[in-house]
Amino acid sequence: MMRKSSILFQIYLVAIFAFIFAPIITSMIFSFNSDRFPTFPLGHFTLHWYETAFARPEVWLAFRNSAVVALAAAFLSTILGFATAYTDFRYGFRFKSAYLALALLPPTIPLVIMGLAMLAWLGRMGLSGTLVGIIIAHTVMGAPFAMAICRLRLQSMDPALEAAAWNLGASQWSAMRHVVLPFCLPALISAYCLTAAVSFDEFIVSWFVSGLNKTVPVMILEILQGNVDPQINAIGTVVFMTSISLVIVAQVMIFKKSSQ
Amino acid sequence: MTDPLVRFHNVSKSYGTYEAVKGLNLEIARGEFVAIMGPSGCGKTTTLRMLAGLETPSGGDIRIDGKVMNDVPAHERDTPLVWQSLALFPFLNVRENVEFGMKMRGIAAAERKERALLWLDRLGLKGFEDRRIDQLSGGQRQRVALARSLVTEPEMLLLDEPLSALDPHLVIRMQGVLTRLQKELGITFVYVTHSQSEAFSMADRVVIMGHGEIEQIGAPQDIFRAPRTRFVAEFVGRNNILPGDKPGQELVVAADRMVVSENRPEGNAIKVEFLSEEFAGTSIIFYFEGEGGEELKAQVSEETLARLAPEPGQTFWLSWSPDSVHVMEPV
Repeated sequence: MMRKSSILFQIYLVAIFAFIFAPIITSMIFSFNSDRFPTFPLGHFTLHWYETAFARPEVWLAFRNSAVVALAAAFLSTILGFATAYTDFRYGFRFKSAYLALALLPPTIPLVIMGLAMLAWLGRMGLSGTLVGIIIAHTVMGAPFAMAICRLRLQSMDPALEAAAWNLGASQWSAMRHVVLPFCLPALISAYCLTAAVSFDEFIVSWFVSGLNKTVPVMILEILQGNVDPQINAIGTVVFMTSISLVIVAQVMIFKKSSQ
Repeated sequence: MTDPLVRFHNVSKSYGTYEAVKGLNLEIARGEFVAIMGPSGCGKTTTLRMLAGLETPSGGDIRIDGKVMNDVPAHERDTPLVWQSLALFPFLNVRENVEFGMKMRGIAAAERKERALLWLDRLGLKGFEDRRIDQLSGGQRQRVALARSLVTEPEMLLLDEPLSALDPHLVIRMQGVLTRLQKELGITFVYVTHSQSEAFSMADRVVIMGHGEIEQIGAPQDIFRAPRTRFVAEFVGRNNILPGDKPGQELVVAADRMVVSENRPEGNAIKVEFLSEEFAGTSIIFYFEGEGGEELKAQVSEETLARLAPEPGQTFWLSWSPDSVHVMEPV
């Protein structure tokens, strides 16, 4: 009985993963396929679609935009997220639960609403269509994730650790630099990678605010609107590999805490 | 006390409406080993934290070396603390942990290393300097925490229940390490604990706290034989509290001064009912119930146990000589 149910469970698991990854894997396979249209049987192996896609200057520009936005937004999100998590860890104050709820709110806002709101707000500030505008929007979206990760880490910190640093002659800032930040380093790396991945993949809000400074997901849509081309598969594969690498680093760093 | 190292004058600490420490007056001499003892919530840890500057007194003042310390932040004081959780830095190795205090004080790397290695050696941790904290046993971590606090050669060391997480046999060994260190260094130790055996076996003076106030200060033997209040007598344990001759007066007779007999003896005696016995090493404690329902104890020898062979519910008489009676202050 036991055996049978465990086999069933394994089949179930494989089915779930197949369901999730089949479209991505298919897209990857067709990115290396010589045929113009995604049909079986496959043609021969080729790097042609990658060559043509990355021969286009607008593709390079989109990747450059996405990279700048992701790196900057992840940096700001991580700082904001850590600061919020630390406030929660260190201080008790009135309306703290309201403060935390507010800090965790952005992911619950429908993306279309967020995109519209950002467009209106950034437009008013003259930042619509600029990379700075996209960075602001992605920082708002990433910070709650960074905060959740930092909070998890801080929860596993002995509250006496910081006080021990003061007791040994460290000022508040030295204690932060020499004790709290080193303790949280895995979480900070993890938060940075995860928020970078969130930003790199994000489409809807970018589509609203990016204007002429297109990020990769916005550019993909533009190419798709023109014609269906295996170049999309090639670009998609690169985007997927980038994001999944960031997420894997983030996960490894989160789990590192249990070993320390 | 002339020229005490520490002086608490009328110190209080409240959190909202809760008073953790009320009007505390205490002087601690140089080179003294003082234990502050009491049940949880009695204010002992708050008192220690105020001394370290981790809490600010709500009233009164704390002087160290004659200087009022109330507003001196923790990092500007030289009052290293050994924490109950040890609070070793998990991301630093043993030597880096020991060096931390010196690093914060801007001592050069070479000197830091030399002094850290010296103290690790002194505490029997030679060869462990590059280990990670999670690669050490409980007793080794304890000694790293001690080295980290003592390496800056402070005038005073604060200890907050440092042995509570150790195995019983290690506790005894660490007690030896601590008393030896204190004598050798000649510095003041302020040791907070709820454990009577730790406090009584190590300290020169014991401060008993209850409900935020000092109940009694004295040498361990004095506190044991002559508890000032009922609170102290009950907290110290192994004491029998008996009604005195005058109204409101209470007497204390230690369990080891009680004589158990089957028939009514001469002199002071009360009739009791046997409840149970407890083995504490080589001595045995008999528990009885008095006629008013109160619990009474007598420490007896193995021979007495064999001779009397008490059964629960059996009636005995407890007697004591007049000179083993201590009269407590009225409540």
